[in-house]
Amino acid sequence: MNGMRWILAVIAVAVLACVPWFGSDVVVQFGISTLLLAVLAQGWNIIGGYAGYASFGNSTFFGLGAYGVAIAMVQWNMPFWVGMVFGAVMAVAFAVLLGLPVLRLKGHYFAIATLALAQVVAAIVSNIPLFGENIGLVLPPLNNDAMFYEMALALLVAATLTVWWLTRSRFGFGLIAIRENEEGAAVMGVNTTAYKVLAFALSGLFSALAGGIQAYWITFLDPASAFDISLNVKMIIMTVFGGPGTVLGPIVGAFVLSAISEVLSSEITSVASLFFGVVVVAAVVLMPRGLADVVRRFRKSGWHYFAENIRAHKL
Amino acid sequence: MPSKAISFSGLLAGVALALAITPASAKDIVLGASVQLTGSSANTGRYYKDAYEFAVEKINEAGGVKVGGEQMKLALKIYDNQSDVNLSVRQYTQLVSQDKVDFLLGPFASNFALADSAISEKYQIPMIQGGGASDQIFSRNFKYIFGTLAPASNYFGSTVEMLKGLDPAPQSVALLYADDAFDVSVADGTRKLLDDAGLKTVMDEKYSSNASDFNSLLSQIKSNGAEAVLVAGHETEILNFVRQAKSLAVAPKMYSFTVGVPSEDFRKALGADADYAYGMTAWLPSADNKDRWFGDAAQFADAYKKKFGYDPDYHAASGAADVEAFAQAIEDAGGTDPAKVRDAIAKLSFDSLYGKIAFAENGQIDLPQTVIQVQDGKVVDVYGANGVINKPKYPMPAWNAR
Amino acid sequence: MDLLAQILINGILLGGLYAIMALGLALVWGVLNIVNLSHGAFIMLGAYLSWYLYTWAGIDPFLGLPITAVLMFCLGYAVQRGLLNFVVRGPMFNTLLITFGLEVVLTYLAQLAFSADFRTINPSYAGNSIPFGPIVIPQARLMAFGIAILLTVAMWIFLLRTRLGRAIRATAQNLVAARLYGVDPRHLYAVTFGIGIGLAGVAGGLYGTVSQINPYIGATLTAKCFAIAIIGGLDSPLGVIVGGIVLGLIESLAILYVGATFGDVASFGVLVLVLILRPSGLLGKTT
Repeated sequence: MNGMRWILAVIAVAVLACVPWFGSDVVVQFGISTLLLAVLAQGWNIIGGYAGYASFGNSTFFGLGAYGVAIAMVQWNMPFWVGMVFGAVMAVAFAVLLGLPVLRLKGHYFAIATLALAQVVAAIVSNIPLFGENIGLVLPPLNNDAMFYEMALALLVAATLTVWWLTRSRFGFGLIAIRENEEGAAVMGVNTTAYKVLAFALSGLFSALAGGIQAYWITFLDPASAFDISLNVKMIIMTVFGGPGTVLGPIVGAFVLSAISEVLSSEITSVASLFFGVVVVAAVVLMPRGLADVVRRFRKSGWHYFAENIRAHKL
Repeated sequence: MPSKAISFSGLLAGVALALAITPASAKDIVLGASVQLTGSSANTGRYYKDAYEFAVEKINEAGGVKVGGEQMKLALKIYDNQSDVNLSVRQYTQLVSQDKVDFLLGPFASNFALADSAISEKYQIPMIQGGGASDQIFSRNFKYIFGTLAPASNYFGSTVEMLKGLDPAPQSVALLYADDAFDVSVADGTRKLLDDAGLKTVMDEKYSSNASDFNSLLSQIKSNGAEAVLVAGHETEILNFVRQAKSLAVAPKMYSFTVGVPSEDFRKALGADADYAYGMTAWLPSADNKDRWFGDAAQFADAYKKKFGYDPDYHAASGAADVEAFAQAIEDAGGTDPAKVRDAIAKLSFDSLYGKIAFAENGQIDLPQTVIQVQDGKVVDVYGANGVINKPKYPMPAWNAR
Repeated sequence: MDLLAQILINGILLGGLYAIMALGLALVWGVLNIVNLSHGAFIMLGAYLSWYLYTWAGIDPFLGLPITAVLMFCLGYAVQRGLLNFVVRGPMFNTLLITFGLEVVLTYLAQLAFSADFRTINPSYAGNSIPFGPIVIPQARLMAFGIAILLTVAMWIFLLRTRLGRAIRATAQNLVAARLYGVDPRHLYAVTFGIGIGLAGVAGGLYGTVSQINPYIGATLTAKCFAIAIIGGLDSPLGVIVGGIVLGLIESLAILYVGATFGDVASFGVLVLVLILRPSGLLGKTT
């Protein structure tokens, strides 16, 4: 990125960082929620967008991170940051241990395997007293939304910088090679197993940290909400909508979809879930390559862009 | 890069939109709640919405709440949490910080109340909830949460008392419970009750909430010959339990459930198979419960049925009681200052359609449960605080002998 | 010993019900390579359809199964031609996403149409039990099991022995060649998907006689069906029966010997193991 873009980026971050001061309570809360979703989308981007392995199990890492914080604070009376470290360690360990066998699977088998992993972990957690079993844990309440907001923003910046670094590093090129032609990449000397596991672990790290912040902010956690599959689908949709395999795509997707969803759900709460389903369907049919692609090609093809997409993918 | 411009303008648009939504100021006292109107608990959640609306309407009809010489009306702001705990927590946060409601009414279910009460404590706005009975809600030294459901640990209290007096007394008891906050609380308390009563427990099993298959557990009951079966669970599970008990020809001498029996839908869904089932309720629509706004509980039940088309049960009565408690407390406190109203709630002691409303030190009401039984399709109270009311039909005959 | 025998019978009968639920999913996945995350929602719709036929028209749920099957077939055909066709040739996880979205929409519409109240399909014989020595066999489950075997064999014959079945398999394996032969792949895909949904409808009708139904049962049923389909293997309808019974037994035994909260741990744990060790399933051919 040239100097101009760096300046724009810094300005954008600075403006976002000032929101708690000139925005209302509701904006700050919307901000926290959206920033965390953007982090999750960015994390998924690493394994799904760059490496091409569509994981349906990132919600597992999110949940482990959340439980890390909850257990540390509620069961052991430790401070928040200890919980974050604990959660991150659990998630990364899980990513490495289970990533090794699961990353050998391809395509939809990988997706289903990660989905199944999420279910298994949720089922196991609901049987462990330390995790509060199926009742969950209630964290000590803290009334400081500004702090959560800045933490989420900082995490998003970290995640985005990591993805940006990815695009210019050997590791990142290796991932893209794996996505485009895994066998070819292996033949060329890329250690595909190590790269995939590392991508999975990085992805898990960011999801876990986001989970930790969310747990403390919402003050409540149980297996159903921690390992929620629809959260996973949300992060995928946001990345796909914004443009997978790009640095800013997930952020755009997260912000735009969250904004629309928020407006709808504060007026007509029950339609929000219907909206979510319809958006997913429409996005996949009309713009499977994401918003960035729409913007790029729309100038050339106009409304034909959507028809072309459909024609390209339909039977 | 055009996508950056889009993201930036998208963000600005979002910010502008949110800033533009300013809550309208009103002279009404606003009570906010996030209730299950859709989703898996919507069946019971709607009792609360209807009860809240009914109570607010009746209180306003009578002139509203008297605050310092002025008559102020009550207003409601209700969100649908789609039976999602996370969403309900966010909605309560929104009610307090964006909609700036004055006070909070509760959701249905203990796990919701457990989570949502963290919000009322965080922002120090009193919440009176009538949907959560789990002891955990009240054991955290929170000052701003109150509950009108009797403690979960004592739900089977009257039932166990009744068991001792049955003839022939059951020689063995099986305790089954779902793994959520309320049912675990019930089981913890029931274990102690059974111990104290000297009854032998031959089975003590926790099962996954929303389980649909009880064949394994029922086969075990048949095998260990438990004569009394106590189940703490959700309506959908208990429905499956009873139907599967019939299809496996499992008929203990008695079985009792924490939910289901008081509700019309449940009995209708089971039809004749509902007979002989025991349940409990802390509320009966009796004319003895006099009420300032509804006359008495019997009149409340009639008016409710006319307005909404279905019979109210203790959930609805509990919800109405919550609104009445606020009305009374606001009058006692002489204003809407949260801390003062909170103290006034803690000191409440008045009679209502729900019974006597008075909260213990930990914020929870204490009411005895009445044991009820389905007899020939009708709900009959069989055992209360003073012993047997009507004779229970005991023991339950084998399924093919009905 | 009696208890164990009863639990084993319970597990096997449960397996039959599971097999019917997963048969449609396995068919669509194995033949068309379409992973349908909304399969459970269609089972739910089938259950409601059965309920309405029983409550409004007095049609016995078992006798009404063919009607449910045909109506659900039409729905499935329409969904395939009108919606899923648009993403069939795109990246794989587009079908995962679109069917997920479809599940959300179907659940919402169902709740709007039928309300959140739970319902039961309760014909007079639904609670009957058949004693067999020291064991009791629930009649409804036994009938469901019988229907499962019947449908699985029928499906096997259809796919391997009939012209239409072979045409479907051929089309799925080689679209270009199929077109060259004048076959309209869209029609065949839609017919196959329709059959899959018709089977889901039948499963729903049966499910309603042994368990209560409400609009939200879709997601959990889908998850179960996945486990069954994968454990058994997608290559053959017989795999689904095996998968169903294996899962039914594992769950029932886990509940008996470990604890009633470990049913899901057992079923999904086995799923993960199968995926890692033998992804083609117990009866699938390893490539």
